[in-house]
Amino acid sequence: MAMLQDLVDAYKGKIVKPSDALLHKTTHLIQDGMNARAFGEYEKPKALGDARWTDELILSTWYMAETGEVPDKLNFKTGKSDGGFDRLDFQFLPESDWLEHSEAIDTKLPLNRRGDKKNKIEIDIPWYGGGMSYGSVSVNVMMSRAKNAKQWNSFMSTGEGGYPPELYELKENVITQVATGYFGVEEETIQAAPIIEFKYAQGAKPGLGGHLLAAKAGEEVAKLRGSVPFVSLFSPFPFHSTYSVEDHSKHLDWIETVNPKAILSVKVSTPHDVDMVAVGSYYAGAHIIHLDGGYGGTGAAPEIAKKNIAMPIELAIPKVHKFLQKEGVRDKVTIIASGGVRTADDIAKAIALGADGCVLGTTDLVGMGCTRCSNCEGGPSGRGCPWGLTTTDIELQEWVQQDWGAKRLDNLYTAMQWRLRDILRKLGLSNVRELRGRTDLLKYIGKEAGE
Amino acid sequence: MIIALLRTPARIRGGIMLESATHVGLQVTDGPLSIDQFGAESARIGRAIADRYHRYHIETEEVDDADPLPHRFLVKVGKVGLAKLIGKESLKYFGQFDVILARPCTYGVFSGPVGGFVPKPKLCVGCLRCEVQHPDFVKVLPNPDLLKLGDSYTTHGHIAAIDEEAKKGMVPVRGQGYRGRFGGPGFDGMLTDMSEIVRPSRDGIHGRELIGTAVDIGGKPMHLSFDSNGKLSGSTPEMFTIQVPFIFDLPPGDLGTPQLASVVDSTSRRIDTLACLDAHTVARLGLDAPNIVPVLDNTEASRASEFPNARLIELRSSPGRPWGWDAAGFDIATEATDAMIGIRIHFEEGWQDRMSQAVESGVKVIHLLADLHGCGSDGTFVTELFKEAHLLLLEQGRRDTVTLFGGGGIVGADHVPKAIISGLDAVTLDLPVLFALQGRSNGSLRQRKQVSGTLPRHLDRDWAEQRLTNLCGSWRDQLLEILGAMGIREVRRLRGEFGRSMVVKHLEDEAFEGIAGYVGGDC
Repeated sequence: MAMLQDLVDAYKGKIVKPSDALLHKTTHLIQDGMNARAFGEYEKPKALGDARWTDELILSTWYMAETGEVPDKLNFKTGKSDGGFDRLDFQFLPESDWLEHSEAIDTKLPLNRRGDKKNKIEIDIPWYGGGMSYGSVSVNVMMSRAKNAKQWNSFMSTGEGGYPPELYELKENVITQVATGYFGVEEETIQAAPIIEFKYAQGAKPGLGGHLLAAKAGEEVAKLRGSVPFVSLFSPFPFHSTYSVEDHSKHLDWIETVNPKAILSVKVSTPHDVDMVAVGSYYAGAHIIHLDGGYGGTGAAPEIAKKNIAMPIELAIPKVHKFLQKEGVRDKVTIIASGGVRTADDIAKAIALGADGCVLGTTDLVGMGCTRCSNCEGGPSGRGCPWGLTTTDIELQEWVQQDWGAKRLDNLYTAMQWRLRDILRKLGLSNVRELRGRTDLLKYIGKEAGE
Repeated sequence: MIIALLRTPARIRGGIMLESATHVGLQVTDGPLSIDQFGAESARIGRAIADRYHRYHIETEEVDDADPLPHRFLVKVGKVGLAKLIGKESLKYFGQFDVILARPCTYGVFSGPVGGFVPKPKLCVGCLRCEVQHPDFVKVLPNPDLLKLGDSYTTHGHIAAIDEEAKKGMVPVRGQGYRGRFGGPGFDGMLTDMSEIVRPSRDGIHGRELIGTAVDIGGKPMHLSFDSNGKLSGSTPEMFTIQVPFIFDLPPGDLGTPQLASVVDSTSRRIDTLACLDAHTVARLGLDAPNIVPVLDNTEASRASEFPNARLIELRSSPGRPWGWDAAGFDIATEATDAMIGIRIHFEEGWQDRMSQAVESGVKVIHLLADLHGCGSDGTFVTELFKEAHLLLLEQGRRDTVTLFGGGGIVGADHVPKAIISGLDAVTLDLPVLFALQGRSNGSLRQRKQVSGTLPRHLDRDWAEQRLTNLCGSWRDQLLEILGAMGIREVRRLRGEFGRSMVVKHLEDEAFEGIAGYVGGDC
């Protein structure tokens, strides 16, 4: 409690917005330092990276976010997790059969396949930004992502934390998320969005709901969530009005009444019966089934949940894809995969396994400087992310300026789209939609002797 | 007349059958009760029941370190580089001391009057902002002293997690996603399931609904028998209840000191579980109590009579004799005491027969033991071994007549539910006790007898009890997280629920079937 009181006091005066000089100094040091590492001017930090996000994956993401190009000296394709995406590769055609560079390769993805009267939405790239709530991240981060989504004719989700007023100018590219705490769910925010996302569960903490620690629920956050400042906020699990597909259908009907044009996404995690959940969601009226795998990102989650509950996304995609095929509804619904999707290669592999597209979260944050130190929830300082990403601290959030963040993401997406097209070209495909479910184009890299 | 059922706890062999049973003390009256009297008496009984209600909870409290683990990171700052920076910035931001002295760390590594010249690496969380901002004179390095703790199975990661859990008594919560390998061997190859919408129960951090973690120790008949008068004629349940599905096992190797015995005794009493201790230690230290499980060699079975307060006594094979079942020893012990007799059986060749014979002879508690890497003598991992034991008893139609404890390789909170899913009633803890008390191991952590470790030199009993209590509180809360995600209301229902788990290898086979080069999830 003492720490919390310190924080409240700090917010009332001790911690202030940085002066122009301090802002200039800090942002330049951060940005120059990231570039120096990404460009190989200094050795890779010894403590950087982990099995899923290796040092090279992080540094290559920084490189792409700075340059808009893929690096030639860093592994930007896979991590070292010893399974899933990291053990899959493509069976490229002989070079003589590759498509020409001059050939246009289409990466567009339609999101509404039901043929109903709702929004006909097509995004230019087969991915969009996942939900990160205001409170878990700053307005600057949200706006950076939203601006980039507009640039790419794609989307980013609000997460469950309300709809900062600044976002309204970008509402055509913002998904409103409805989750179990209903934070920020209002008639206006439902009507503003072309897509409404129901979050049933989150891959990193399936079945556990959400928890914004008191230290991060500052005055602005509380205002948007309709809560009391510096009081912990829980998003319970599950929706307490939903215990069946019929209940779920009523939820979707409710949205349809408020915003008849919005298409509906249902975000679920990956339990054993995820295929049944998916088909149930389809019949309830979902346009998008968003599968969030067990290795997905979070602002705060019990370590035991991240590792152990529900299955990794690589294993869930084929299960759902095949089941929907058997049910004869696969072409009427869009499957979006998230939870451990890090790179363009991962996106292509997810699509080859049966998804239509992906959602990115951590990748965006890494593009803006995240080192995956895991202190998003506040860390010992209680102030949140020292890089200014997962924080609403008055000072720290300024380290990410909106235009800088948006430009970083624009560059990153440019490089990722290039790489996706490069993969398609080498597979002889002129359209990303042709890749869906083509497991015949994948190969599994077994362990070498002694590995 | 009787207006409510008498709910007197059924005493069996010194134990209490159902802890929830409440004796409310009826006031027997002559003649019929008036409506008012009935109401008043009902209210009194209801109040008495409510007043006696106690919701089980483990009280945790953060405690200081006695012998802290090596910190995760080392921070090295080049003093010349820092001085140069200050000089340069003094000119650039002349007079703006808040800018000149601003350091990248929000955790205080560079705070204090001399700033970065004397960094405080113990405050470092590894965000690396300092190293990124100042690549020419700051380095943050993983601490090799931490990395070398443990062994190939009980890694420094397990030890650090146990240390944190024992220090804070909380569920470790962090930002960002999972950082480890995809699936993996042993317990890592098993995932637990969750229910997307169907589930009424949630406890853990939300604390709304009760999820029970109590388990019954002992056996109950597979069916009840009645005589021609309708009275029970056959055997009845012989059980007592503990509040968590984990007990403390015999400290391995040279760890079984009187100090440690005293700590596990008081902790097991505090959280209402059991502690297995060498019978000689129990006798010498006068620890005989319901929470203590004296462990006797088969050849000493007659000494069971020396522990009148024990609810359970375990027999182990004697040195130089075959592992496991010794019918004569069991008979002698049963004659000598009213306590339940449990049998410790190692996963050595022929363990299935020994277990079957023991259960056939009426043993109510089987304590299965793998090595500390969780393997049997043939290398099979405990998830498979526990499953085999559970299924064998099911096939024999007597699973409920016996309680299965199991130990070996349980070094993480997630291992508890996974072992129970595999078929156990409760797991036994060995090495986690050492690391919860900030002990250090020397050498092998595989064979029980060869384990060598040291505990902090001045082991304060209160401190140690709180550390162990914290560990148990944290592990119980993490169990609640797992059960809550599944929508299961009590841990007893998790036993042998293989359908509540997913095996990564099987999932990979299903997902990657037909992909070139894929020959099986393990390859």
